[in-house]
This record gives sequence, C-alpha cells and structure tokens, in this order.
Amino acid sequence: MTSTSLKPIAPERGIYDEMLVEDGAHTRPHYREYAGWLDSTTAEGMAAKRAEADLIFRRIGITFSVHGDESGTERLIPSDVVPRIIPAGEWSFLQRGLVQRVTAINRFLRDIYHEQQILKAGLIPEDQIVANDQYQVAMIGIRVPYDTYAQIVGVDIVRHSDGDYYVLEDNLRVPSGVSYMLSNRKMMMRLFPDLFRRYRVRPVDHYPALLLQTLRESTEVDEPTVVLLTPGRFNSAYYEHTFLAQQMGIELVEGQDLFVKDAMVFMRTTSGPQRVDVIYRRLDDTFLDPLAFRPDSLLGVPGLLAAYRLGNVVIANAIGTGVADDKSIYPYVPEMIRFYLGEEPILKNVPTWQCRRPDDLRYVLDHLAELVVKEVHGAGGYGMLVGPTAARDEIERFRAVLQANPGNYIAQPTLALSSCPTFVEEGVAPRHIDLRPFVLVGRDVRIVPGGLTRVALRRGSLVVNSSQGGGTKDTWVVDDPADAPDGGGDGHSAASSARTGEA
Amino acid sequence: MLSRVASHLYWLSRYLERAENMARILDVGQSLALLSGHPGDGESTAIEPLVITDTLDAFRATGKAATPENVARFLAWDPNLQSSIANCLEASRENARAVRGSITSEMWETINDTWLQLQTRRRSGHEPIETEFFDWVKERSHLFRGVTFATIRRDQPYHFTRLATFIERADNTARILSVKQARTAPADAAGSVSDYYSLSAVLRSVSALEAYRDTYRDTIDPRRVAELLVFDPKLPRSLRFCFDEIEDILQQLPQGAGRQARRLSAIIHAGLAHGDLDEVYDIGLHTFLERFIRNTLDLGSAVQNGYLEMK
Repeated sequence: MTSTSLKPIAPERGIYDEMLVEDGAHTRPHYREYAGWLDSTTAEGMAAKRAEADLIFRRIGITFSVHGDESGTERLIPSDVVPRIIPAGEWSFLQRGLVQRVTAINRFLRDIYHEQQILKAGLIPEDQIVANDQYQVAMIGIRVPYDTYAQIVGVDIVRHSDGDYYVLEDNLRVPSGVSYMLSNRKMMMRLFPDLFRRYRVRPVDHYPALLLQTLRESTEVDEPTVVLLTPGRFNSAYYEHTFLAQQMGIELVEGQDLFVKDAMVFMRTTSGPQRVDVIYRRLDDTFLDPLAFRPDSLLGVPGLLAAYRLGNVVIANAIGTGVADDKSIYPYVPEMIRFYLGEEPILKNVPTWQCRRPDDLRYVLDHLAELVVKEVHGAGGYGMLVGPTAARDEIERFRAVLQANPGNYIAQPTLALSSCPTFVEEGVAPRHIDLRPFVLVGRDVRIVPGGLTRVALRRGSLVVNSSQGGGTKDTWVVDDPADAPDGGGDGHSAASSARTGEA
Repeated sequence: MLSRVASHLYWLSRYLERAENMARILDVGQSLALLSGHPGDGESTAIEPLVITDTLDAFRATGKAATPENVARFLAWDPNLQSSIANCLEASRENARAVRGSITSEMWETINDTWLQLQTRRRSGHEPIETEFFDWVKERSHLFRGVTFATIRRDQPYHFTRLATFIERADNTARILSVKQARTAPADAAGSVSDYYSLSAVLRSVSALEAYRDTYRDTIDPRRVAELLVFDPKLPRSLRFCFDEIEDILQQLPQGAGRQARRLSAIIHAGLAHGDLDEVYDIGLHTFLERFIRNTLDLGSAVQNGYLEMK
C-alpha cells in the first residue's frame, strides 16, 4: 500500500503565510506542533477525515443556499481540515483593536442620530451621511437603551504581505457565519482529538450564551422575552438562525408570528398572545415593517417601527446601523476613533479611494488593473472588480460602469491576503484567507477567541466568499509557544473565557 | 409555543404517519395480489389501495391501467400525488426543516437522513415498489417515533407531534376497515378462503395479526376483526386506543384555545369507550365508520383552528 506524503507545499513568494516562512523551509513557532503531527499523517488518512466531515455536515444539514444557483438550493460550504492558528499575543492585539473600533462606531451612530458633532466638526461631509440610503431619518432623536446601536458586529480582517492586520469591512447590519465557526470547532474536535491534546485551543462554544447575555442586556426590562426574527427558511443563513435560536433557547419567529397591538409587540402562541421585549433580527432594515419601509415586504411586522420608536421593544442591531458599515463611510473610521475616544487606532484601515471625488476617480481609472473596485453598498463579493486577475475586456466593461456612476464605488489596493495551508486536490497547499471575529456589545464588549476564517479554495483566488467558491477553517487561538499557560492576560474586559450565560 | 411551529410539528408528524400507512396498505395489497388462486377480481383488488386512500380519481386521470404494479408505483412515487409516499416524506422533512430549532437534533437528523436516502432510492432509477422499500418506510417511521420518544422534552412539541400521529392513524385504520369489510360478503360470515386472506391482510396491515390470535385463539372472523380494530383498548392502531391517546394529549395542551377540539374528542371517545359491537352492527359497520371518519376530520379542523392558526 502506498501512502502519499502531506508535506505542505511552499507558499507563493511575497505572500505572508500563516504557517511557513522562507519559501517553506521553516515553520512558524505556533505551527510547529501541527507540522510534526502532519508529518505523521498520510494524504489518504486526511482524505478519509475530510469525507467523514462532509458526511456529518450534510447529515446535520449545515448548508448554505446560493443565490442564482438553480441546480440545487442547498450546498455545503466546504470546511477545511487544516486549522488556522493565531498565537495568543496576536489575538490580544486584535481584541484590543476590535473593542476600540466597535466602541467608536457605536458612539458615531449615536452621534449622527442626535447632535451630529462629527459633522459639525467637519470631519465627515454632511451629505455623506444624510444623503446615504442607509441613514434612517426615522431614527433621528430616538433613544436606544444604553446608547448601543450595534450589539452584534462581524469585522472582516485580512493580513497583508507586510504581516500586519487590516480591517476590510465592519459588518453592522446582520453579520452571519458564526454557526460555521461553532460547527467547525465541533467537527475538528471530533475528527482530531489528538491535536486538541497537543494544543490548548481557547474555547468558542460559549458564543450562544454570550449572545443571549448581550441581548438580555440590550433592554431595560427585567426578565425580557427575547426572540430571533428570521426572513424564513428560504434565506441563505436559515440554518444559522435555527441553530442560534435553539442554542439560546429562544423562539425563532417569522414576521407572521408577530403582531403589534397598542404599540406593543406580541407573538402568536398556542396559549395566546405573548409580549416580546427584544428582537434579534436577521432581516434588513427595509423589510422590518411594511408600513414604514417597503410596502411589498411580507417578511416584516406592520407597526413594528412605531412600537420601536416608543421604546416598547428593542431591535438588535438597531435600525439605521448600516450607514456606518457602508464602504463610503469606512474610510472615516480611524477619524471616529480619534474623535470619540481620543485614541490612535490600533487596527489599520486599508487605504481607500472614494470614486465620488474627482481626483480619486482619476487615479482609480488610471490604475484599474492594480486595484479592487467595490460597490459602496455591495456585499457578498458581487459587483466588484479585482483588477489584477480580471481580463482586459472585463476591465473595460467595468470602466464604463464606474464612469456612469462613480459615487457608487470605492477602490482599494489589491491586498496580498495571507495564505494558510489547506487540504485540497494537490495536497496541503497555500490558499488565501481572511478572518471574521464576532464582537458582542452588551454591558461589556465580549469576543470569543478567534472567529470565522474563510478560505479561497481556488488556487491564487482572493475571493473568500462562500457564494463564490470559498470555504471555512476552524480558527484556533493558542497560547504563545514559549508562554506561561495564561499568556496575553491584559486585564481587558473582553470576556474571552467568560461562561456566565444563562443558557 | 408559536402557533406556526406547532403547525409544522403537527404536519410533519401526520405526513410521516401517512407515509407509513401508505406503505402498510401497499405492502399488504401487493402480497395479496400475488396470491395465486385468488378469485379473478384482479382489478378490484388492484384498486383497493386507491379506494382506501381516496385517490381513485387521481389515478384514473393518469390514464394508466389499474395493475397492482401501476397502482403501487403511483401511490409510492407519483410526484403529482400529494399523498404519495415520496411526497409525504418530502413534506414531512420540509415541515421539520421549518422548525428544526424546535425539535431535537436527533429528530432532525433522522428525518433528514430519511429524505437523503429517499433521493438515493429515487436516483437509482427504478422507483422501487418491493417489500424491501415498504419495510424501509415503516422502519424510518418507527425510528423517528423512537428517536422522538427518547430525546424530546415532554412539552408541547412532543404533544402536538403525537396528537397528529393518532389522528392520522385513527383515520387510516377506519378507512382500511371500511373498504376491506365491504368486500367480505356479510351472508358468508364463516368465510371462504379468499375472505381468510383478505381479513388477515387487514390485520397485517395494522400489525394486528398476532394480537388477533392472542385475543381470540380462533379462526379469523369479520366481526371479531371489527371488534378488535374498533374497540380494543390495548391495540396501538385501534380506534379506541388512538382516542384514549388523543384524549390524554388534549388534556396536556393549553386549555383556552382547545375547547372545541376537546369537546369533539370527548364525544368520539365516549362512543368508543362505552359502545359495543352490536350497536355498531345495528347502524351498520360501514355507516359507523363513515361517521367516525367524518368526526375525526372535524376534530382535525378544530385542532387546526384552535391551536395552529391563531387569528
């Protein structure tokens, strides 16, 4: 019987690899245990593990519906069997940066719906906010409990070839993916128990408990009734909605299950109407209330906005948070941090050209082949141009689209996303990755260690979105190799190991 | 619990029970049709499963010849027939998918796995109608019930799941009995050979052949078959047993919304708990069963309106 070696293939030159350095000649310290383990594993053994993982995922039904895919409405997001490992020291840096960033964004949201000091200070042009589609006039002057607008934030972070982390995007509306983080961990522990004996991987399983705690803390009501509002089972993230509701022990409701009476929200139950205090909504603003937003929406609850404005129900995240994760506002986040917190930003922003500015547009048009151009309101990797990998005619087509409506686009340098060894056809080969940690804002800011690592499974591809051939990886935060067991304790309130939820 | 969720659980369970019942009817019907020397009423035996399940017109519309094989394939696999086994299993899984947060992961995995296996069987191309397939359907239904029994909290989701099982089952037993009983000549109560096979088929289709032997230790007699399937409080597919369960379940559900359902159930139950066979034969077994089926249908509507569709 022959067995194929699993020696990792060397990373591309000029790319930061999470595991290997110097063209693959050396392994970074926090990956050395893993490298040793990999050395004693065969490709056949690894393939068998992956097949087992696929089977279990399919059986549990962790699937993802892909827009425009008619062949099947359900598809598995591939889960890679090689973990992405982050040493504790780096994690505590990321954690501090995330807490700072999300705190400033919440301050910003409060400000633009009240005093608008940041506009008065001239740091952001007023029309960038008030003329923004995501700015909700209905929220002006409305008080939300504890001034918390964004309770659940998914921040997309990448590592560039300089080895530094950059924030790519702050997802403040309805960030998804946390269920993959949780099931990847469960799967890895099941498939590779020996690896978990070699590494002390910080746990993430308590995320639902922290989320419930965060939601309960979002209201001033004692013993609140919390529900999760889903668009329904045809939504691509429906699996996640059911999973989280079940883990938290709260009702998973659809719009038709709720109604508003006397400006209070109730759900229809087999014992009659029951009052609802907090709605964790996984539905965009415009679908929430057909009376206030899109009249053709059947997903929302008529009268919800009126009840919300009177403070009779909490909606998490608040209505109107989208204005802060808009790509046209993204360039100002470092300014927000300085303005509201009087601190220097810990995490870097990616340099961004705003095509609505004539100078920026000119530069972008001249350098289309080097840049990534994105729609201001786009998401999911749609409607974007990746200059370096695009064909010439594709670039020219995009040029016309961009010139027709420059205000709709921003451009950024093509980041050389870091790579991480990934088990694919050709063996354990480098593939580009990003990272989405999930930040929870209650009385404290809480982050489970790690997050969701997405991986572009196609060789050389920089698009990690699951809708475009991306997969996921389990993300391990481990003690620094030479550290004492409790390395990285910086006394911050981020409750990496809190297990205090009621669930 | 949410009315919508209760509704999905209820229908998930009814469809699964319906699939199982269909498998039972077809399995027994086919083995009956295979009996050589069975009197030459080929077509009327072949269409019996269609009569029982109220699908004769739908079958005729396909224009296919009423052979046992065509009938079985129609009832097991026809994509346009809502109550075909394949569609019932699919509907059951769709309902489960809509409320997977409200059932245990084992329940979901069982029902999802059933659906996945169904796809494999369908893909294998020949849409099986052999005993092995019907056994598989029954086994999957047994498995789901067992998994439910073993994993779910004794709370409303459990009660609605069971309520649906017993309403569907009572209806089904009544239909089988009604159709089969009409075929055995009343004057010829002692039974010919063909009656023997027909009656034992009835009993086998509701897993009651052993129960019959244990209870009567005698030849199979149409009246006793009726007595067993209508009144026996210990036989899990008898009308009486089903309504003992339904009565018990309704007591455990929220009382306010279920008044009409409880009233209807109490009336049906009283007839079964305090009636006897002579009374039934006075009005005629067929009439009795028709009335029972209608009342059970009304009970279903009352459950639907009271709990599942809050206005």
